[in-house]
Amino acid sequence: MEDDRQSVDSLLPIVYQELRRLAASYIRRERPGQTLQPTALVHEAYLRLMKDKPGRWQNRAHFCAIAAHSMRQILIERARARGAQKRGGVRHRVTLDEALVAGGERSIDLVALDEALERLAAFDPEQARLVELRFFGGLTVEETAEAMNISPATVKRHWAVACAWLARELQGSPPA
Amino acid sequence: MNPARWKQINDLFHAALERDPATRDAFLRGAAGSDEALVREVRSLLASHRRSGEFLDQPAWGVAADLILDDGAALSLVGRRIGTYVVVEEIGRGGMGVVYAAEDARLGRTVALKALTPEYTRDPTRRERLIREARAAAALSHPAIATIFALEEIDGHLYITSELVRGRTLRDELRDGPLPPAQLQAALVAIAEALAAAHQRGIVHRDLKPENIIRRDDGQIKVLDFGIARSPTASSPTATKLTQAGVALGTPGYMAPEQFSGADVDARADQFAFGVLAWELATGEHPFGTDPASVIARMTELMEGKTAGLSRALPLPGLDRIVRRCLRAAPAERYASAEALLADLRALESSPARQPMGGDTLWWWQFHQVAIAVIDALMPIAMWAIRRWIDRPYGSILFLIALAVATISVTLRLNLYFTSRVHPSMLVEQRNRSFSAIVIADVLLGVLLLVAASLIAGEHDELSALFLSVAVVVLASLGLIEPATTRAAGLKA
Repeated sequence: MEDDRQSVDSLLPIVYQELRRLAASYIRRERPGQTLQPTALVHEAYLRLMKDKPGRWQNRAHFCAIAAHSMRQILIERARARGAQKRGGVRHRVTLDEALVAGGERSIDLVALDEALERLAAFDPEQARLVELRFFGGLTVEETAEAMNISPATVKRHWAVACAWLARELQGSPPA
Repeated sequence: MNPARWKQINDLFHAALERDPATRDAFLRGAAGSDEALVREVRSLLASHRRSGEFLDQPAWGVAADLILDDGAALSLVGRRIGTYVVVEEIGRGGMGVVYAAEDARLGRTVALKALTPEYTRDPTRRERLIREARAAAALSHPAIATIFALEEIDGHLYITSELVRGRTLRDELRDGPLPPAQLQAALVAIAEALAAAHQRGIVHRDLKPENIIRRDDGQIKVLDFGIARSPTASSPTATKLTQAGVALGTPGYMAPEQFSGADVDARADQFAFGVLAWELATGEHPFGTDPASVIARMTELMEGKTAGLSRALPLPGLDRIVRRCLRAAPAERYASAEALLADLRALESSPARQPMGGDTLWWWQFHQVAIAVIDALMPIAMWAIRRWIDRPYGSILFLIALAVATISVTLRLNLYFTSRVHPSMLVEQRNRSFSAIVIADVLLGVLLLVAASLIAGEHDELSALFLSVAVVVLASLGLIEPATTRAAGLKA
């Protein structure tokens, strides 16, 4: 695990740059609602590395997991910093319903999501990892399946239930 | 929630999802039996599933694009009073925060005031270290180092005050292309002097790059952020950079491999950054390429201890050698100290034209040039000797062509040889200009020898075999030996 942490640290600057590039291209996006092709440069970089240097990262899954985790770290750090700047202590939060009404443009409270994800990890680490890969790492269902060594159908099933659970957590409605 | 319970909920959730929404409730009640809590939980999740629609379908960088692009320093402090400072204007944004020009009311002078972003200061151990290092860096006094005055904590925020330097950063200068040779040399010496002075006191810069070096309006070079530079985590290069494709990379491209992989960093990491910087200032391009992927690939190679090959040689051979040494993957193979680096740079300055380039390796290249020139020069003589054995007028024609191409090849090769002895700084350019002519001449000569060998075969087998073998030697040396000696001499990457 110490090794992984080091890898994360060394990847951060690059992942961060990559995030910026992706975010910028996302904002420039022609039509709102169009899903960004999640094949990020992180993947290209990875493929390139693999071609030259197999074995530097244990495998693709290892690399994707580290990259996704780095992205999560950076984003949460940022979201926290912004929260700290704005107040007070009150988080800027747009509830899911409001956001959905506003036409698919969602603003998710990342800090709350991060915390919910931690809670999910306590009883289902696999699903938490899956969410990290898909949401923070931007992997497709197929890529996630490959990275986690499970079938795409299983990814979809886990994804559906994890999303439903997280959405409910973020809405703040008490678990039944 | 325990994992077993969660599994139960999951199974029921999916089973219910497969059913028609109208019959789900009845199904749940039947499947869960008396476990009311289970029914409620799954029902609530199903409702959430229906409501949440495309929740999390867009990747995080889309959802939080503004968050990522905002450098977290939107709040401008201009006009505000911070402790004894009155903020006058914003003069720059960097990875660590926003830099302002501010009046220090106590001393009546204008200083640079850097407001550190919370990323650097929230973590107490990081904060402690920063304070300790700023204190050490404040003791540095050198004309090429922007002096740090103080690190102050005001209302819970950290500010670093330092000498206010106005001018253009080397990044700005690079936008106009590489530095002219005279300026380049002076700038590199000044930066190396700054490094030597800091390293002597045990202070490592850690984030040397064109953005951190300013040429003041009077020409003085100033290195900023000595000892307090940080480049991990969410620090960033300036906001515009990554939105434009193919523009210079931020910090990763300047990090020494040991720094990149999170190992302990000493002063020699600054030498690596210096190597990258020197290459960039000399050529206008980053040595590892312009896209993040190629930089990652190079950095990975370096982290594995493999020194990255460079795409070409620098126009100044002496500087080329210095840069290559700085860019070694293993810190132990770089200079022992910044003083040693500085000494080499100064030697370059005092005798730019006489700088030997590769030492022994250049000697092999020179030997190769002379040896091939001698072989080439002998060939027309041999052709002359055998021309009577070949039908008229082909013998004479072969001789004349051989004479012409041999003259071209020998002239060009000897010219290169003398250039390497007298004007080594021009060698790379000269070789690039004449090499294609040499290749054509030598290939032609090889072919002529093969033709001659086949024409005299039968009557003069021994001589034919000799010609054949000389042809093979000429062609093999061109295709195999010459590239090797050229690379070894650093004339080509």
